[in-house]
Amino acid sequence: MLVMGEVHTGLLQSSGEIPESACRDVLHLMSGETVRLSRRPMIYAVSPDLLTGVDCRLPSASRSRIRGVGTVVSHSSITGGRVVQGSSYARVERAETDRRLAWSHYLARPGVIEVLGKAKSSDLGDGFIGDPQPNGLDLGSISARFMDVVQSSPLLDRRAPFKVARTKVRWVAQPGDPAIRFTLNADQTRTIRIAHSGDFTPAVVDLCEDLALHDWLLTTLLLIVERARIGGRAGPEVVAKLAPAVDHLLHLWMPAARVDEALVPYWHGLEDRMRFTAQWERLVRRIRDQLTLNDAAMLRSARHP
Amino acid sequence: MTSVDATFGEVAAERRTASAPLSHVSIELGHLYMEDFEAGPERLRQQFRRVAPWAATVRTSWQDRVPGRRARVSTCFLIDDYFSRFSTPAELIPMVLEAAAECDLTIDYLARESACAVSDGVELAKLVEDRLVDDPSPDTNGSRPPVKETGWLCNGSRSPQVGSVQAMGKAQRWAPPVQNAKRGHSVFVDVELWDEHGGKRTWSCPFLAAVWQLLRLGLLRREGRLPVRPVPRDDAFPEDWESLPAIVQLNPAAAPFSAYTTLSVLSPRFLPVELAVRTILSQVAVDGDVLEQVAARSGGEGIKLEDELVDRISYVFT
Amino acid sequence: MLIFAISGKGGTGRSVTSTNIVYRHALQGNDVCYLDFDFGSPTAGAIFSVGAVARGTRRHGLHEYLRGDCAEPHQVDVWSESDREGLRTRPPEAGRLVLLPGSEGGGELSGGNEDMVRRCVQLFSRLNEEFDLCMVDVSAGRSYTAELVLNATARLPSIPFRWLVFHRWTRQHIIAADGLVRGDDGLLDAGARLGHDPEALRDRIRFVRTAVLEPDAAELVGLRDEQRAWLFACDQELRELAGRHKVGRTAMLGKIPLDPILQWREQIISDEDVLASKIANAETASAFDELAKKIVDDTAWEGL
Ligand SMILES: Nc1ncnc2c1ncn2[C@@H]1O[C@H](COP(=O)(O)OP(=O)(O)OP(=O)(O)O)[C@@H](O)[C@H]1O
Ligand SMILES: [Mg+2]
Repeated sequence: MLVMGEVHTGLLQSSGEIPESACRDVLHLMSGETVRLSRRPMIYAVSPDLLTGVDCRLPSASRSRIRGVGTVVSHSSITGGRVVQGSSYARVERAETDRRLAWSHYLARPGVIEVLGKAKSSDLGDGFIGDPQPNGLDLGSISARFMDVVQSSPLLDRRAPFKVARTKVRWVAQPGDPAIRFTLNADQTRTIRIAHSGDFTPAVVDLCEDLALHDWLLTTLLLIVERARIGGRAGPEVVAKLAPAVDHLLHLWMPAARVDEALVPYWHGLEDRMRFTAQWERLVRRIRDQLTLNDAAMLRSARHP
Repeated sequence: MTSVDATFGEVAAERRTASAPLSHVSIELGHLYMEDFEAGPERLRQQFRRVAPWAATVRTSWQDRVPGRRARVSTCFLIDDYFSRFSTPAELIPMVLEAAAECDLTIDYLARESACAVSDGVELAKLVEDRLVDDPSPDTNGSRPPVKETGWLCNGSRSPQVGSVQAMGKAQRWAPPVQNAKRGHSVFVDVELWDEHGGKRTWSCPFLAAVWQLLRLGLLRREGRLPVRPVPRDDAFPEDWESLPAIVQLNPAAAPFSAYTTLSVLSPRFLPVELAVRTILSQVAVDGDVLEQVAARSGGEGIKLEDELVDRISYVFT
Repeated sequence: MLIFAISGKGGTGRSVTSTNIVYRHALQGNDVCYLDFDFGSPTAGAIFSVGAVARGTRRHGLHEYLRGDCAEPHQVDVWSESDREGLRTRPPEAGRLVLLPGSEGGGELSGGNEDMVRRCVQLFSRLNEEFDLCMVDVSAGRSYTAELVLNATARLPSIPFRWLVFHRWTRQHIIAADGLVRGDDGLLDAGARLGHDPEALRDRIRFVRTAVLEPDAAELVGLRDEQRAWLFACDQELRELAGRHKVGRTAMLGKIPLDPILQWREQIISDEDVLASKIANAETASAFDELAKKIVDDTAWEGL
């Protein structure tokens, strides 16, 4: 019927970027399962997929009582040794009976939540993207816990270079003519709706995680620039406030680097509308200009004390 | 300019899963505890006499399912060396083999129970524990971590804590535990998985038995590889259990140790243990790739396996 | 950084002082939050003039969160939700100022609840990701709440934390403050049992004197000579008492003068109250400002 997911993104709680080996140790969430890791174009490490059982009300725009039973798939990941994500999703499918079955039935279909009774896919999707009801399926809390396990790892020193709130991206994928829609809400939440041709594949999850990562990078960079108050205080102070961005963020922008080729057009589609990269580059230029200005000022004062 | 179709793959990022050789059915001919051993060889012979007809029946029924081909049936026997240590392999195994032979039974594989806890440095029990996905009670929406009673696993919701967590607040009254998938009334089961004394963990008998079933079903992997493989027997059996491999292949011509399905022929006194084993197994999430592998293999042979792994396990209590 | 505000006795000025410190810390450019852990009477909303949560919040207050009845506690953005005009405009240099209220109708929470400790650990570590400073009003005296946060911080060894013990400049308060820290089953004792290093814990505790009226203050000008002499003698006696109880000058982080407007109303003192309407004393505002700097100034926290 449809797939629902939620990705949380935040700054890894360590003073510097952590090496590959530490990524592996931090993400080792299940014995006997290796952490998958790729090095190009930057280090990306992901924990094994873990399941969480749920039996609860599913979201519904019409506020109908829809019960779903099954499992949610989640994992944690670290990008560039610096950015953490906790990601969860579930495929929602119609159950064959209206009765809850033995748990082994659901474990034989990992990552599937079966709907007991009638439900419309559009009603579920709209409900999930819109205002979620209390006590309904809470993928956000599951993803938040998958971030927590990483953030609270004793291998991290917890001395992050700056403070920043996590962002939350809720997404829904349904079959249809290819389309994508990204919405920014007032708080830290964003929503994505994807229509994909053909069957759902985990590549859609990768796409949403990549979008969430870049949205977080942009949000964070905007915040750092805002906090620096360019023009509102002395040059060296501004530069000191901007420094963490240069040290920890600027090199991480690599849109669609991990996205399946078939889904890259979705990124491009969004780029055309939202101009993510253009905005990022403008901010980077602004930061660089400040650094250059400050360097020049320092040189001048060194020459004419 | 023409466009070039380029691909880039990174080995480390891909996941490989080894496949296990599989029989059609794995028959457990017996499970030997200290008390059985102390009761003498006659007890063993009795057990084998009871088992023999059932083993034969299963063999023919599988033969019927694969007409024109040979049914792959392997037999195994488990010795408890975890909860109590008795005798030596050199003394015990020949006795077991002899008793089986008297009843026209061949034991293909012999396994040590302690291997289900740790084998060759691989903590099989831990592997399985990490794969437990708790059966959620109604209204479990993911907002809280699963309710855990450390070291226990149940099939429903336990009685709530009586009393109140907030001063002057309403007190929580007693309520009965409830089975999640109940039909009318509950059969609530709460299984102890392990206990710990002085920092040393002892896995419970049902938990090790669950590991044993998963091994026989060929569903366990460690970093994509098979965690234990049967080792052909030496001419002589060693004097201590540690020197005996986790699983010894006694019959060189045996069908593979692991199988699509298992049958265990047991005394009814194991009934509560096996209920606990099913409670555990119905909450183990087997690796999806492994499940697919097994489904593809059996499908290729025209065999439709049950979706749920607890349904691939059968028992005869006699 | 987590700051725990506690006092030996109730009504010391712990809440008013700690909210003002947090407010000043936000003005100094830091992202801060205030956690109302005074579970028996969650009224921090009133001090920030957020009428909607003056007696705690109706949805997802800290009580519900710690009891496990909601996934995330309600956060109130004081800059946008305060009823006071003067607080509702966030100065450009200021950081975030967020209140996490208790639940309306919430009461003291019972102790010895492992799940609650875990949730508290989760809360502190998530907030620490987001805020430069979290001020936690732990209520007065030996309480399950103090035990809860001692327990939680013992499990978060890499998150820095400090304790402020508030007391008034009176005999009873000085004795109570010392007893709360060093007495049997006090912070050091209980902290050690829960896994803190007592030496390190002691170095993370400082005292704050509230509503202090110096004997030579302008307010006392009209007093008779006998009265003034008595006050001086009394003050001298308290100094000695404080010294004996190790809550003297070296262990003190700061003191807040008595301010008439605080005596009449528990509130945030803004610069406007000092400069424009002139209802508050400049000394009070600058004492809060000073403390807001000192709580994060490592030199003020060097070993005693
Ligand atoms: N510096 C000050 N000058 C004058 N009055 C003050 C000062 N600080 C606090 N007060 C007043 O003292 C009273 C008690 O203050 P507050 O409520 O902050 O104390 P508390 O220690 O939090 O009390 P409780 O233990 O009841 O929570 C209030 O009326 C408050 O306005
Ligand atoms: Mg108070």
